[in-house]
Amino acid sequence: MRKVLIVGAGQAGLQLALTLREHSYDVTVMSARTPEEIRNGRVTSTQCMFHTALQYERDYGLNLWEAETPKVEGLGLSIAAPDNSRALDWMGPLDRYAQSVDQRVKMAAWLELLEDKGGKVIYHGVTTSDVDSLTKHYDLVLIAAGKGELVQLFDRDPERSPYTSKQRALAVSYVHGAPRRPEHPDTYAVRFNVQPGVGELFVIPGYTFSGPCEIPFFEAIPGGPLDAFSDQPPAAEHWSRMLGLMREHFPWEYERFQHAEVTDGQATLAGGYTPVVRQPVGNLPSGGAVLGMADVVVANDPITGQGSNNASKCAAFYAQSIRERGDRPFDREWMRETFERYWEDARHVTDWTNAMLQPPPEHVMNLFGAAQTNETIRRRFVNGFDDPSDFKKWFLPPDLAEEYLASVS
Amino acid sequence: MAAQIETRSLRVRPYAITGGRTRARYQLLVETMISVPRYDPEFSATLLPESHALYEHARRPVSLAELSALLNIPLGVIRVLVSDLAGDERIFVHPTGHSYRYDNTILERILDGLNKLSA
Ligand SMILES: Cc1cc2nc3c(=O)[nH]c(=O)nc-3n(C[C@H](O)[C@H](O)[C@H](O)COP(=O)(O)OP(=O)(O)OC[C@H]3O[C@@H](n4cnc5c(N)ncnc54)[C@H](O)[C@@H]3O)c2cc1C
Repeated sequence: MRKVLIVGAGQAGLQLALTLREHSYDVTVMSARTPEEIRNGRVTSTQCMFHTALQYERDYGLNLWEAETPKVEGLGLSIAAPDNSRALDWMGPLDRYAQSVDQRVKMAAWLELLEDKGGKVIYHGVTTSDVDSLTKHYDLVLIAAGKGELVQLFDRDPERSPYTSKQRALAVSYVHGAPRRPEHPDTYAVRFNVQPGVGELFVIPGYTFSGPCEIPFFEAIPGGPLDAFSDQPPAAEHWSRMLGLMREHFPWEYERFQHAEVTDGQATLAGGYTPVVRQPVGNLPSGGAVLGMADVVVANDPITGQGSNNASKCAAFYAQSIRERGDRPFDREWMRETFERYWEDARHVTDWTNAMLQPPPEHVMNLFGAAQTNETIRRRFVNGFDDPSDFKKWFLPPDLAEEYLASVS
Repeated sequence: MAAQIETRSLRVRPYAITGGRTRARYQLLVETMISVPRYDPEFSATLLPESHALYEHARRPVSLAELSALLNIPLGVIRVLVSDLAGDERIFVHPTGHSYRYDNTILERILDGLNKLSA
């Protein structure tokens, strides 16, 4: 039985651990926090996951909250005009639904599930010197510790990382008591609202401890008016501040939220980080090598809501490569190949996400504008969130966008 | 990719949903005591140096903190090695917290220490 150590109990680490357990690998996970600490801790994401990523969870019976979690059947785009009316306002249907389960709910239960399935779980904040001593005891060590300090084991890849500073300041609240958007009262949809020059307001229907909720999420242009949470206010104040800014910059969303309340005292989050792609193999002083996963190696801005999707895909790709390797050694070459196989998919997400952080170029505005009256364009854009490799074929290159527009008009 | 990944229809019972269980299989706190229930020299000889040293030291009850200090091995590594040996039932993890007081090995050790003091 091959021995695998996974550092980090998030979407990537736990999904991989649970997958490998089903195939009888000897799996140990090191988690900085216990299930209780995770449950009582702060929210970590808005974690909207689309069909492909959700299906990887279903394949291993990890979709424990599918029935009670809102089924997100569309994605809407609204762009403000200078007078704060909406210059554009449409919704496109997702071919297959998306869902967002509070990572506190999911990771705490997945940790317990892993123990029930015979995985070993060790609660310990891992240091690089721990990792250094541990590699020789395992056939394979994976670092799935998100954006924590263990990323220092992996060098930044400048060719794949165009940004050197954070592109957005993030602020999130989980709230109860908000109805759906009045334009589509029967449909759960992710809402993508843009205030040019100021930032974006996402709204994601999700599921938390106390049931279905809505998750408003600011992507603030740094230094702008939405970048107003660096003092880390307490939850109720954080939310009322978000509400005030929503009223001013996204008045069409404000209505339905004015009576909403935070779901719990830890239901808000403020922060931000620099998008980065890293070298996948970490080399340790003792001579060992470790393989990075998900956010450790590819951390995109959440503006396209892809990080958990990527984490799920990364876990699925890596599990496949691990199984195909059989009894042969997990050497550096295998590690690089394994990552490149994942990157072949993930690079499309990085390209698209990095592009979405810039003001939309003319050809994108033309597409968004035409989508107002053209369902085919809406549908294609929205379903790209499930398969971002599609954007390079019609959305990102200006010439292909023009061709596409001509072909559907 | 989706089609390539072999699927198993093993459904997980949804009891984990409700949560609330705080049980971890082993409570590996710094003060957690461990010991070797049945010492096996042949097994000991097969272990990697760190695990070997740990196994030898645990022939008498010893805490994780003591082991880390004695063997100069980071606590995180001690936790992993102990968890592995405990998984194979080569090491016994003494319950911590409430039941600690009633643990005979600990009581004996304390009595032993007291005897030595009075001798
Ligand atoms: C505000 C915000 C909104 C987002 N919205 C979305 C969205 O809508 N859709 C989407 O797909 N993605 C979204 N993301 C991104 C997504 O949350 C992450 O990309 C995803 O969670 C990454 O998974 P991971 O397993 O790589 O890392 P993480 O989820 O960060 O998990 C890493 C784990 O490792 C643990 N850890 C860290 N250091 C150590 C250590 N030294 N020792 C032991 N354990 C350690 C951490 O405690 C954590 O549990 C969002 C992110 C943010 C910040």
